Amino acid sequence: MEIFWNTIARYNAATWRWQIVIVAAAVLLTLMLYRHPGKRVEQAMKLFLALLNVWIALVYYLVYGYERSYSNVMVLFWALMAVLWLYDLFAGTTHFRRTRRPGLLSMLLYLMPMIYPLFSLMRGLTFPMMTMPVMPCSVVVFTLGLMVAFTERINLFAVLYLGHWAFIGLAKVYFFGIPEDYLLAVSTIPALYLFFREYVRSDTNRNRKPDARVFNLLLTVICLVVGAFFMATLLPYLHPDLW
Amino acid sequence: MKTSEELTELLDFIAEYATYLLGSGVHTSRVVRNACRIGASQGVEVHLTTFQRTTILTLREEGNPQVVTQVVNIPHLPISFERNSDLSSLSWEAVDRRLPLSVIREKYRQLIARPRMDPIFVLLVVGLANASFCRLFDGDWIASGIVFTSTLAGFAAKQQLLKAGVNHFIVFILSAFIASLCASMSLRFDCTAETAIATSVLYLVPGVPLINGVIDIVEGHILIGCSRLINALLLILCIAVGLSINLLLIKGSLL
Repeated sequence: MEIFWNTIARYNAATWRWQIVIVAAAVLLTLMLYRHPGKRVEQAMKLFLALLNVWIALVYYLVYGYERSYSNVMVLFWALMAVLWLYDLFAGTTHFRRTRRPGLLSMLLYLMPMIYPLFSLMRGLTFPMMTMPVMPCSVVVFTLGLMVAFTERINLFAVLYLGHWAFIGLAKVYFFGIPEDYLLAVSTIPALYLFFREYVRSDTNRNRKPDARVFNLLLTVICLVVGAFFMATLLPYLHPDLW
Repeated sequence: MKTSEELTELLDFIAEYATYLLGSGVHTSRVVRNACRIGASQGVEVHLTTFQRTTILTLREEGNPQVVTQVVNIPHLPISFERNSDLSSLSWEAVDRRLPLSVIREKYRQLIARPRMDPIFVLLVVGLANASFCRLFDGDWIASGIVFTSTLAGFAAKQQLLKAGVNHFIVFILSAFIASLCASMSLRFDCTAETAIATSVLYLVPGVPLINGVIDIVEGHILIGCSRLINALLLILCIAVGLSINLLLIKGSLL
């Protein structure tokens, strides 16, 4: 756990200026997607996401996180995500168009990278040994926010790949003492529910088992069970005396 | 005595029926039995030889000098035991109730038009099954959870790549690599990581071709049996390649 926080401290101390630039670019591109949507802005956002994933793979894990055991797994994981965005940039499979999904959820997911540092400060952590906006979990939650707001037809693989990272966050809460990752895991559930529900609804010539109504019910039950599981794991952390 | 047109019409249907069964993961002798049963219900003999990609069917009626033969491609269809069972029942119904060809064809159309399992539902169930494998091999709960989400990612990749028409050997290599890469994250935690990595690719094991290959060989259909086994073994080799690339990069510290 000590190595984990030390690497975070070194990363933050060395890159905080770059992180400000990256956050500014993310805000600018997101605003442009809302105000002036178009092919160029869409391509700029895809390129930005690819570079952001490369940043996490190389700068966060390979340069500053090399002390952590098996950081090479993370380098590969994020490099693969970057390749996926680069492929999308040239193949044009994802289209960033405003969706009718709840704006509140996407707004919450956008804000999550900013809530992360606030959460750390509330826990009594200080700079540089604290979570910051340009970290893997923040990138996942920002990407999910973009998908909720802008992608009508989601890339299921990308969503599940990011979802995998989000659920891994739950294990990090205990092994590395980073309760901020609860925010990621919890905020992923409604996003995944929305994606799956719309994926089923968008199948217009639906001749599948179970039917859409039963499937929706099943999704709701799964999300409730996962939510209850998260609550059950969060309670001992919040009130250790009671357990 | 049937006319040439009637024999051809009957052959067309039996060829479609038999290749549908073969494409849906039925072993050869069962297909032969079902096709012969439908032929018997119409008073004709059916002779069937099958290979990995094509089937040759011949129809003859006793006392009729006309014999018709057709070579048909076997389609790639999702495996469905429920549908295979329904189609086998149809052959029994045809012979028991002496159904006319038009009725058999209508029932066949209704059966194959029935809804299939939703791919997302299959995805979730496969994830749960693979996580259960992890538990069976003494993986702990954290490892099982990681295997569940790793399988979702790997299987989603497999579904999308197959839909995009990528060669299925490459699909198996990539899916195995992605699933094992995701499962490798368990190495960071104090859990049964080796079990998680090993079981993360089990969803790719081609069980149906392996079983069908063995049954075919045992029942005398040596050629198609060997073809199926070779195909299954090549897929297993692809799984091993995907897993090995990941292990070489991570455990072998090549990166």
